[in-house]
Amino acid sequence: MKIITVENLNKSFRVKTKEQGLRGSLKAMLSPTYREVQAVKDISLEVDKGEVLAFIGPNGAGKSTTIKMLTGILQPTSGDIRVLGLNPAIDRRKLSYSIGTVFGQKSQLWFHLPPIDSFNLLGRIYEMETKALSRRIAYLTEIFEIEELLDIPVRKLSLGQRIRCEIAASLLHSPEIVFLDEPTIGLDVVVKQKIRDLIKTLSKESQTTIFLTSHDAGDIEQLCKRAIIINHGQIVLNESVKNLKYNYMNQKVIDIKYSDEVSVEGLALKVLKSKGYAIKVEVDSSDCDIDTVVSNLMKLGKVVDITISDPPLEEIISGIYQHNSIGGDGLA
Amino acid sequence: MLMEAKKNLRLIAMYFKFNLSAAMEYRGSFLIQTFGMILNNSAFIYFWWILFSNIDSIGGYGFREVMIIWSISSSAYGLGLIFFGNSIKLSNMIAKGELDSYLLQPKDVLINIIASGTIVSAWGDLFYGLILFTIVNGFNPIHTLLFLLFCVTGALVITSILIITNTLAFFIGDAQGITSLITEFLITFSIYPEGIYSGFTKLIIFTIIPAAFISHIPVRLINSFNPQLFLLLLAAVVAWLLFTYLFFKWGLKRYESGNLIVNKL
Repeated sequence: MKIITVENLNKSFRVKTKEQGLRGSLKAMLSPTYREVQAVKDISLEVDKGEVLAFIGPNGAGKSTTIKMLTGILQPTSGDIRVLGLNPAIDRRKLSYSIGTVFGQKSQLWFHLPPIDSFNLLGRIYEMETKALSRRIAYLTEIFEIEELLDIPVRKLSLGQRIRCEIAASLLHSPEIVFLDEPTIGLDVVVKQKIRDLIKTLSKESQTTIFLTSHDAGDIEQLCKRAIIINHGQIVLNESVKNLKYNYMNQKVIDIKYSDEVSVEGLALKVLKSKGYAIKVEVDSSDCDIDTVVSNLMKLGKVVDITISDPPLEEIISGIYQHNSIGGDGLA
Repeated sequence: MLMEAKKNLRLIAMYFKFNLSAAMEYRGSFLIQTFGMILNNSAFIYFWWILFSNIDSIGGYGFREVMIIWSISSSAYGLGLIFFGNSIKLSNMIAKGELDSYLLQPKDVLINIIASGTIVSAWGDLFYGLILFTIVNGFNPIHTLLFLLFCVTGALVITSILIITNTLAFFIGDAQGITSLITEFLITFSIYPEGIYSGFTKLIIFTIIPAAFISHIPVRLINSFNPQLFLLLLAAVVAWLLFTYLFFKWGLKRYESGNLIVNKL
């Protein structure tokens, strides 16, 4: 069953422009000039009930603008949106009972009060019954492991603790769809993993549909079955994460440090950097085994440090461009 | 309609309790701000007292009347900002795109926004007015009841003006300048005797800067009650509220959100 359908969605903003300096300012006062900026261009997509969808793209690609139109915060310039059969621009209040939203940069918790106070207030804003609310709080407290954070003022929580409370807060009214806008932004590796595990549990246990934006390739790989990549307001790619991984996310970067100088000659590897003690290589996991590469590298000398990472999303997207040869203007 | 009104009143009450407990988090600051405001306002009593020891009346008002318009204006302003503290920050919130979380909740957007914040020092304004009124008027149950009622109507008028001027931010981008200008006008007009205004200024205090409905008509009604005048006051308040609500709704269509964290303005 389709829970979100979007057809030919467009959003443009009118931006006032001016030439540089004071002279430009004076000129703009006398005869203001405007430019149309298209934040979202002709986007169409569908999301099934219970699906975990990754909506990804670099900064300024139009991710947040799209989410804001799906949740009714912004009015589209043109196009048609149906979320749970409702038009968000018209039935915003009705829709708000069935959706939950977390914007990584914007808090819905009161800064000076402990989360439990915000939870109680939010529960009443969503007109929940007292008993149902306290049951729900108890349940979320348990899975999000925030028991001991509930009575500490939010300003004293760490970012990771706060995000856990934020997500719990957005789930109080048992929404059918959850929009998570950059939930892992600014978090360290361990906390990131914890948040991912929580999102996984959530989608498994309650069949909640999750619409996730991120520019962290790890989020997408671990959480989602399907990914939609957007750039410059347009959909660049819409396919399963399995295909995406196989076709575009097969590059791994290995950073390795030795206690003595080593030579990489003779190894059939793409060396990005070699400084004697430290080596950086890129491996294509579709045609060679990471396991073998790593054990070969280890044999070169005594290893002090090793990290294996994904290339940044920007590189993956530019790989997609090269592959599909679309969007001739390249990446911003 | 009635159900909706009840829901909104419940929301306001909920936020009131909530904000009070948030303010109490900083007990010291709460007390200092409250008493500081009382002290600050008290300085003006001295000024008027000196003036009235040389002159008998100004614009038909004696010392008592001037103190009553002062106390109503102060308490009304305080009451408005205790319950609807965000009405003064609205322009800033619009410019920074902070309305998102309110738009995501199943409540009336305007009431949800303005009631969700409070101004701590407004408690000082409220108490100052109450104390001053009781001192200059003595304890008279009917007068006190009328005074409290006029604090509510005054608070609604002041809140309306704050919302309207702040809502201009949807159209002109930054409305903080015009808001403080109009608020300044409104307060100044409402704390000087009605008799000093004539002609064009009189028209202004009954229309676009409705200071007359905050303090001047109330003081007339406290001195001698007139049902027609009382109904006129109530009608004016309702008209302002209605206009404010529709004006905000119209402006909200132009809201552009934004991802601002911190910005130089």
